[in-house]
Amino acid sequence: MSEFEKEEKIKTQLEAKFGAVITEMTIQRKNRVWFEIPADRIPELMKFMKTEMGHTHLATITGFDGGENLGANYHITDTHGMITVRAKTPRANPHLPTVTGVFPGAVPYERELEDLFGIKIDGLAPGRRYPLPDDFPADQHPLRKDWKTSDAYPDEAPAKQEAA
Amino acid sequence: MSKMTIPLGPQHPALKEPVNFTLVLEGEQITGSTVNLGYNHRGVEKAAEARTFLQDIYLIERVCGICSHSHTTCYITCVEELAKALVPERALAIRTLVAELERVHSHLLWLGIAGYEMGFETLFMYSWRDREQVLDCLEMVSGNRVHYGINTIGGVRRDITAEQKKIILSKISYLEERTKYYVKLGTEEPTVLARTQKVGMLPHDVALERGAVGPTARASAVKRDVRKDEPYLIYDKLDFNLITHDTNDVFGRLVVRVLELVESYKMIRQILNYLPEGPIAVKVPAKIAPGEAVSRYEAPRGEDFHYVKANGTDKPERVKVRAPTMANYQSVAYMLDGGYLADVPMVIAAIDPCMSCTDRAMVYDRKTDKINIYGWDDLRKHGIEYYKKRGIDFSKM
Amino acid sequence: MKIKDKIILWSRLKSPWILHFNTGACNGCDIEIVDALTPKYDLERFGVVLKPTPRHADIMVVSGPLTRQQVKRIKRIYEQMPEPKFVMAVGTCACSGGVFDGCYSVVSGIDKVIPVSIYIPGCPVRPEAVIDGAVKLLGALEASSKK
Repeated sequence: MSEFEKEEKIKTQLEAKFGAVITEMTIQRKNRVWFEIPADRIPELMKFMKTEMGHTHLATITGFDGGENLGANYHITDTHGMITVRAKTPRANPHLPTVTGVFPGAVPYERELEDLFGIKIDGLAPGRRYPLPDDFPADQHPLRKDWKTSDAYPDEAPAKQEAA
Repeated sequence: MSKMTIPLGPQHPALKEPVNFTLVLEGEQITGSTVNLGYNHRGVEKAAEARTFLQDIYLIERVCGICSHSHTTCYITCVEELAKALVPERALAIRTLVAELERVHSHLLWLGIAGYEMGFETLFMYSWRDREQVLDCLEMVSGNRVHYGINTIGGVRRDITAEQKKIILSKISYLEERTKYYVKLGTEEPTVLARTQKVGMLPHDVALERGAVGPTARASAVKRDVRKDEPYLIYDKLDFNLITHDTNDVFGRLVVRVLELVESYKMIRQILNYLPEGPIAVKVPAKIAPGEAVSRYEAPRGEDFHYVKANGTDKPERVKVRAPTMANYQSVAYMLDGGYLADVPMVIAAIDPCMSCTDRAMVYDRKTDKINIYGWDDLRKHGIEYYKKRGIDFSKM
Repeated sequence: MKIKDKIILWSRLKSPWILHFNTGACNGCDIEIVDALTPKYDLERFGVVLKPTPRHADIMVVSGPLTRQQVKRIKRIYEQMPEPKFVMAVGTCACSGGVFDGCYSVVSGIDKVIPVSIYIPGCPVRPEAVIDGAVKLLGALEASSKK
């Protein structure tokens, strides 16, 4: 048995249930497992991890801009170790299913994905936007790599430090 | 009973940040609530991508003034993991020392604010006066009372001398004496008990479901503390108890925090005795190899979470910060339901929000078609008067 | 100056009432401002009282870089204060945006939106600096009223 006994068990359990849809499974170190899964399998995976694997706490969801794909990392823990699941979605039409059915606390994390990256979350209950201000243009998404402050506020002097 | 909808928004006389809660009332009882955030959004994650890893320490520190060390340590742990840096043991010990001093300052701050919300202003003055001792320790060690800036990539920036050790130990002894009074106050004083017991109930399973963290969760008997679950820094070498309480209410949260103060004093003594010899930092190259890392940290308010992705340059590709209050405020809506308007300030203050504030509260009575305006301080006074009529009066203490 | 005006000026100088407003700060300056009211620094012995409503305040003490969401709110609160009114920008963020200058959600210093009477830099400010700033402001008030 390798020193990553617990992590190997997690890997085996997931691959038994989901098989080949899981890709890029890595055991980075003790207590850290990373893998990728297609976006449409996310709610099912979340439910499985919560009910069958004791990973009951969704720490947060991190959106990212990967160039031709946008996506999100779901960080789930059983309080001892951290599993990060990556799901990609095409930039041209970004969609991700909601996980609020499994983790009701995920509402603000998903609203952040919608507001800051422009990824539409299917199944998320409608509500006030978060975290951007009410008068921010609805079609602009600050955390995308190609966005600059001058896109939304063209009249203001350019900022001293802009994201490249 | 007529239904009223109240928005509570951003402006508070004592500290606090902007948040907006919408409450639906029937008479004095709250039947529904939603939380609206976003007033404090500054775009830190985007700004972090435009700055180098070292400059980001300065930025991330200013995410929160009360738990600034938590944020930098959590962030730096990710970066050091990506850089495969071996941080010296002495640096880890100094980081832990500052972390526990920060926890003490934060819990004493909370105790004062809780007293203020109850109407117990003397407690506010007492605990903040005692808190000055901790701020003196922090200033001595790091150079600043708030935003210590003690972390750097690869270790810490300042060392602890024998003289400083002695001074910290004497101040901790003083605080231990004073905390005995706070423990007695929190657990035995009938006026405090009347304002905190059975208020803001959060059952165990709801706390788990909604992802509550920190003392808010531990007061609902959830045994979660990152220092025990996944020890970081030198917590695996320290002897301390995981404090939980099973009353699920504001009283439980008060007890958990005060007892955690006692544990922190114990830990500070152990760390000062343990301080191993050695360097305080290792050199780390400016460009960090590509990779991703996550780290967790038990901030005074609960689990702090950071994610960093590096791409081989000297600037991060992505930085994600999830502060503990973000995980806790989901539970606030639940806690407010079924409670009274008079308890609202207490319940919101009890999660120790690093992000709470209230706007004008507009109360619309559908039956009489009247609109009343309440500010946070009006609600606070309303709570104090409501309880005074029922015999709970702090002005006699 | 008439006796009535002298009394009013005296009461303004001897007991300025402040309103604290946070425009998206990290809380560092806020806790130092509140610290100035606690026993070690004790602003209240100078007659300074923290008021919850703008209608009772002489000085608005503002901390934080102005986030865009707060722009409307700070204007409204400033307008609700009765004349004469003063604004104290506390902390580097309120003076110029501080470390958040350039962020998309921040408008930089509050003087872009409301007139500021005194700037107190620091990250965070020390309570002594807050007291010093308040005293300087009162001194300037007194001097300008003698003209």
